[in-house]
Amino acid sequence: MRSLLHALILGLLGAGIVHIAVLFLVPEFSERDAWSRLAMASDLYKMTRLDAEAGGAPVVKSVDPMFYAAACRFNLADGLVRIRAPGDVPFWSASVYDRSGHNIYSFNDHNANSEKLDAVVLTPAQMIDVRRDLPEDLQGAIFVEVPIEEGIFVVRAFVPDDSWKPIVSRFLEQSACELQDY
Amino acid sequence: MLKTVFLTLLSLAIAIGLGGGSVWYALNAQDGVGAIRIGQWTAFPEIGTEGSDPYSKARVAREGVLALGRAEGLSFVAERDEAGQPLKRECAYTLEGGYPTARFWTLYAADQSLGVLDTGKARQAALQSYEVLRRPDNSVVISVGDRPAPGNWLLTAGFGKMYFVLTFYDTPIASSTGLSDVTLPRILKAGCHA
Repeated sequence: MRSLLHALILGLLGAGIVHIAVLFLVPEFSERDAWSRLAMASDLYKMTRLDAEAGGAPVVKSVDPMFYAAACRFNLADGLVRIRAPGDVPFWSASVYDRSGHNIYSFNDHNANSEKLDAVVLTPAQMIDVRRDLPEDLQGAIFVEVPIEEGIFVVRAFVPDDSWKPIVSRFLEQSACELQDY
Repeated sequence: MLKTVFLTLLSLAIAIGLGGGSVWYALNAQDGVGAIRIGQWTAFPEIGTEGSDPYSKARVAREGVLALGRAEGLSFVAERDEAGQPLKRECAYTLEGGYPTARFWTLYAADQSLGVLDTGKARQAALQSYEVLRRPDNSVVISVGDRPAPGNWLLTAGFGKMYFVLTFYDTPIASSTGLSDVTLPRILKAGCHA
């Protein structure tokens, strides 16, 4: 009887250890995180629609049904990445996520010059280089300094009603995510 | 000998079963560490940030969520009505009350995975603040159900569990200081189909 109790207590202790171990291993080994899902859907530096509107199941779930969204993966080891989207939509917001899906930086159309999306994502080291000699066409851009290499850039745009659908779709389809020379 | 083997196996089974099961349970529970509750509404302002707890991090990785940033907005989820009963798709509800400051908000009825309910019709199970009618005191009354209702109507359909997701965009409440004196609409049950 005593040994049974011993085994039970040992089991409970073990359960605690397993609980903590599993909890910390889930983010390491998940193949269902946002990065992996996007990697299956498209290449680096390619804007991909996240909502179901583009056909098929949504790539990344839990997007507000009144929003369209697009994302691209980037690797700052290759150079700085510039994200641009033309046109006027009622509301857009943008976020930079790291490799494991943590939101590092976010901003919306009221933070931008001229309400157009024009952002450059770069590391602090690249920022020093760019500051030394800022190219003319980067003058109006929002510079997002992030301490990461691999990351995801997400643009979300509000669709107030059906009549806005084509306009917002066009906004996201014309958005570009490209490596920038400087 | 056999007894030792049995006891060892028992400890291992308890450890792995209970350990793994408790993680699974914790990750599926809507409540959790870091939750902020306002009435029946729950938000996780920390979710998806570097500073979030291990449970939120595991949930983000497992579900592939890309959480809204602070400058984007904040989502609240409700799974119970004012009386504490779980929300059901076959029931009609009334949401009434004021909303905190935001550029705009959206409200939708969601299924278990927090995706929007499939209504089977052209009308989505979603509303947004630019299209709602307001009362003189700026509060909003929304009727939820599968029968058309005058005023603001949120269409739902089907049977089973339901959630309401209320998201505020470009709002000061997303920064931590703003959450203390926020009031959100009350969820009142209006009736159910048998």
